[in-house]
Amino acid sequence: MTRLYVDSDKFGGTNASATVEAFHNAIREIVRTRLAEAGGHWESFVFGKSLDLITKEDFGSVEKMMLDAGYRFDWSAAISPSERPDVYKPAEGVGDGDMAGFSFEHPEAVTAAPDAEGREQRGQGDNVARYATPCTGIARYIRSPAQVLKYLQEGVPADTIAVIDDSGGTLTAPILEQFKGVICAGGSTRSHLGILTREYGVPCLMNAKVSGIKHGDTVMIDVTAQPKTADDYQSGREVTANVWRIVK
Amino acid sequence: MNANKITYAQLLETNNLIQRHADESYWLCVTRTVQESKLFPVPAYMMLSYLMAYYRYPALFRKIESRMSAEEIGDRARNMGMKIQAPGMSYMPDFYLLGREWLLNMGIIKPTDGIEDLIYVMDFWKRFSLAYHRNDAHMTNREFGHRSQILPERRLQVYHADMYDCENGDELHEAAHSFMAAASQYGFLISCESRISLHNHGPYKLGDNVEMIVRDFMDMAESDFPWLDDAAEGVEFNNITVTMAVKDCHFYLVDDWGSFEARPEFSSDKLVGVGLYYSDNLSDGHQPLGMGSREELIATFNRLSEQVREATNKLWMKIAGWSRDQMMDAGAITYFAICKDLAHVAGVYDPADWMMVDERAERFRPLLNDEYSRDVLGELCVALNPTQQLHEYSMMQHANKNTRLYQLIPYSILAGEPYTAGVGEVYPGITYLPPKKDVYTTTKGKIGFEEYNRLSRESVPTNVDPKYRYLCDTWVKYNSETPLADELYKAEQATSRCLKGKGAGLVRTDIDALHR
Repeated sequence: MTRLYVDSDKFGGTNASATVEAFHNAIREIVRTRLAEAGGHWESFVFGKSLDLITKEDFGSVEKMMLDAGYRFDWSAAISPSERPDVYKPAEGVGDGDMAGFSFEHPEAVTAAPDAEGREQRGQGDNVARYATPCTGIARYIRSPAQVLKYLQEGVPADTIAVIDDSGGTLTAPILEQFKGVICAGGSTRSHLGILTREYGVPCLMNAKVSGIKHGDTVMIDVTAQPKTADDYQSGREVTANVWRIVK
Repeated sequence: MNANKITYAQLLETNNLIQRHADESYWLCVTRTVQESKLFPVPAYMMLSYLMAYYRYPALFRKIESRMSAEEIGDRARNMGMKIQAPGMSYMPDFYLLGREWLLNMGIIKPTDGIEDLIYVMDFWKRFSLAYHRNDAHMTNREFGHRSQILPERRLQVYHADMYDCENGDELHEAAHSFMAAASQYGFLISCESRISLHNHGPYKLGDNVEMIVRDFMDMAESDFPWLDDAAEGVEFNNITVTMAVKDCHFYLVDDWGSFEARPEFSSDKLVGVGLYYSDNLSDGHQPLGMGSREELIATFNRLSEQVREATNKLWMKIAGWSRDQMMDAGAITYFAICKDLAHVAGVYDPADWMMVDERAERFRPLLNDEYSRDVLGELCVALNPTQQLHEYSMMQHANKNTRLYQLIPYSILAGEPYTAGVGEVYPGITYLPPKKDVYTTTKGKIGFEEYNRLSRESVPTNVDPKYRYLCDTWVKYNSETPLADELYKAEQATSRCLKGKGAGLVRTDIDALHR
């Protein structure tokens, strides 16, 4: 059998991700096959014959192999499962249909019973910037361009604290200024959303680990807490701010 | 196989340049989070862009250098806010090397492939970077302890003198801050979620407790990117520079990817002075924008804010209607073309070179679903791929793991191990995006790309005029009383409100007094 350079790797091992390992094993097999078909001479193959012999269809067969085995992929961009629902795991919490029952559930969310003021802790996050008072508003999940478009056309409801799992700055670009606050279940205070909320003066917790917050709940984020800095991330210091649901 | 014409010294240097990027890029990756977006398939387009870089950069850089050397472009880049500074030129080798690393891991190339290309790309970057950083005499911000002082005294004096004071809550502070927020957000959207439309350099010391950061907002108008056609029609300037004086904090980190960090943390109440400029390779340096009076500057910031807000909404609506392939193309082109302005400066820009996906890279698109892209990108960026593993005695910088982000060139090619030279010429490209309008917003107006190339080839900015090009701050130190130094400074001061005609004799305290 034709051997590739990477088939003999003293220090190598396997890919950390099982998906990457499966893909790369399949791709290497395609390369071995095509190299053998081309006569096995690497120098004339690598930037020459391989460009015709290893095709887009070959690469398409790699994903198909896993789909045929029943595997469905994680999605991150809303467009991906929207265009190819048969390829990705079901998309939840991205439309009005299932919004009422949807919630982020992080296993490390710190929860506690309501205190005397009716504040039930539902998690914690990294504070982007310090404000004089905590921020209270209505939790509204925003996880797809369709939801942003709706708010863009109809206006963002007053007192919205956006609950997002996108730490980027583009999904909510046209409506970000209208949020009262943001709870972002990803990223860090240095992520694009963190940078932009700080620039706009919108209270925000990044890397939020929350549980049991439903669309429409009244929530409070403790943005009076110490912001988490790059130094804190680098040294692994835990600096968090609370997320509460107001239950009375 | 090639005749062995590569030298040991070349390999030693190239491997050192590769390792510099490996060390710093690992650190820059792990101090950020993997960037995902619900709007854009970010990891998917990033992976595609790395292959575009691998297959096209060598030929495109050779085309650029057929007209202008990397070091001359580096000299010109200091003098304007185009996208060939950090992060543009810092990312460039990373994209190329990540493409190489990914192909290695898939078994599609060997570490001995494309060696002449690799040596050339790294050498091109080195020569550009040394020229660009000439005034602080480093190759990267990292080498300078994460600091970037690219400007000469004469330009800093103009920025310092012409800046308008502001304080938290006043109209200018509000207008400047609002513009920077809106422009940052617009920049992320233009660049499909990446931060590569934004650049910061500095700090520069304005006083005992005051530092200046210079912020560039780039590629904002109708120009190279097809997706800005029509959406950005109302944006007047393609490249805008804001000078910011900041008190009571020290910018201890200005990294090669364009981010800054301060202690104590920078917040808007610390902003005490601002200036505003526009530029490109045709403008002969930074030109003042609305700097005639405080009122004019406030009105200009507000006008520009409105322009970018309107463009943000139009662009967002356009993107929301795109297919995934269109999103991938826009993102991949944004990344791959991060150094496209090299071609503009040299006057050899062609949208077919920079705004298309090379068909060799295009083959890989079917691999790039969200999960595979996320995982392979994550593995590559923190050195988890098998090809990135080293022997167990080794300890990489920053993590003490036995890994290396980018494979070095094996020295065995000098002992006769076969190697291949490179990927060859540019192959045809494809795109799912609509055709680009032939409209480029420059400081000479909205023009077609051939006209832009013609003007670029004719342009000789003052700072690279042979008479002035090598008159550095070391020369000025001992020659400030000469007519030539005076001429040099007066050329820089020609459009300065406060310094026009003042010449070479002033020092920072004089500027401070004039400013007050």
